[in-house]
Amino acid sequence: MGSVRGRFGVGYLAKGLKERYPTPNRPRTDKEQERKTMDKFFLAIKDGTIKGLQTGLFLLKIMIPVYLVVVLIKYSPVMPWLERIFTPAMKVFNLPADGVVPIIAGVFTDEYGVIAAMSGFDFTTAGITTIAMISLTFHSIPVESAIAQKIGFPALPFGIFRLFSAILIGILVGWLGGVFL
Amino acid sequence: MSASFETIVMEMITGSLTTIFNLLKVLVPLMIIIQLLMVYHIIEKMAARLEGLGRILGISKNAMFPLLVGVVMGVSYGAGTILEINKANPLSRRDIILVGVFIFLCHSFVEAVILFSSIGANIFVISGGRFFIAMFITILASHIPYGPLRETERH
Repeated sequence: MGSVRGRFGVGYLAKGLKERYPTPNRPRTDKEQERKTMDKFFLAIKDGTIKGLQTGLFLLKIMIPVYLVVVLIKYSPVMPWLERIFTPAMKVFNLPADGVVPIIAGVFTDEYGVIAAMSGFDFTTAGITTIAMISLTFHSIPVESAIAQKIGFPALPFGIFRLFSAILIGILVGWLGGVFL
Repeated sequence: MSASFETIVMEMITGSLTTIFNLLKVLVPLMIIIQLLMVYHIIEKMAARLEGLGRILGISKNAMFPLLVGVVMGVSYGAGTILEINKANPLSRRDIILVGVFIFLCHSFVEAVILFSSIGANIFVISGGRFFIAMFITILASHIPYGPLRETERH
């Protein structure tokens, strides 16, 4: 999988977990004997910090291109055109027309793409929440359909199902967000 | 172009750097939490206790572990767990579909909540709202009496 999570997700973290964090009920070797209970906790914190920094470095490769494209689109003639087309659709979700950019970015990249695209614009709390809920339901479609197919989900019904849930959730949250947030 | 060249370049540089910096402040604690969850096998322990939730969702006991892994950590790891479990003790088609419906609507819970609340989304909607919507749709799906979702398909 070419996804961020595929490469730097938990599957990657889980590699060699048993050797690095030996459990007491397994037969102990000399090396395992040395590690005590507290060491396990601090070792986990140290590993987590390293993984976080590594993931951050890896994300530079995704975030910066997405951000650059978004800023370019924002000032190019494409933006008024997008706004004109998507204003009615975004009204359904109670969003400004700009809201379409992070959502589209999210469909092709992932959550990190949504965040990169979102920081290029100014949204209200309600707007951010609505975009987040829509994107969290309908994101990284190419990568996640491939994963879905692996566990026996047909790709097309799967995509349609997620699209419809995202629209429903967007309408619900947009409407509630307009009232409460 | 509606803005000068300098404005655009400046916005690109400052904007992408702030975004990355804000993200790093979130990513390190996030990875520490995930590492602790894995080192102390917290998800396995949760799965054993949440049988009641499984009954509400209409999935069997075996399918609870991949469901929790997918919800807490992410789709790719949840799917990996399903494939792994299938090798030893295959899940029924019904379980796989219901788990899939749930985890594709509500996954990488820790990651999503921390990330999106850090940029200003409402934390209750992102966490609770998302979880209950996924639960609601899964419960609806578990009551479909046709096709592979029939109760009798259960092992």
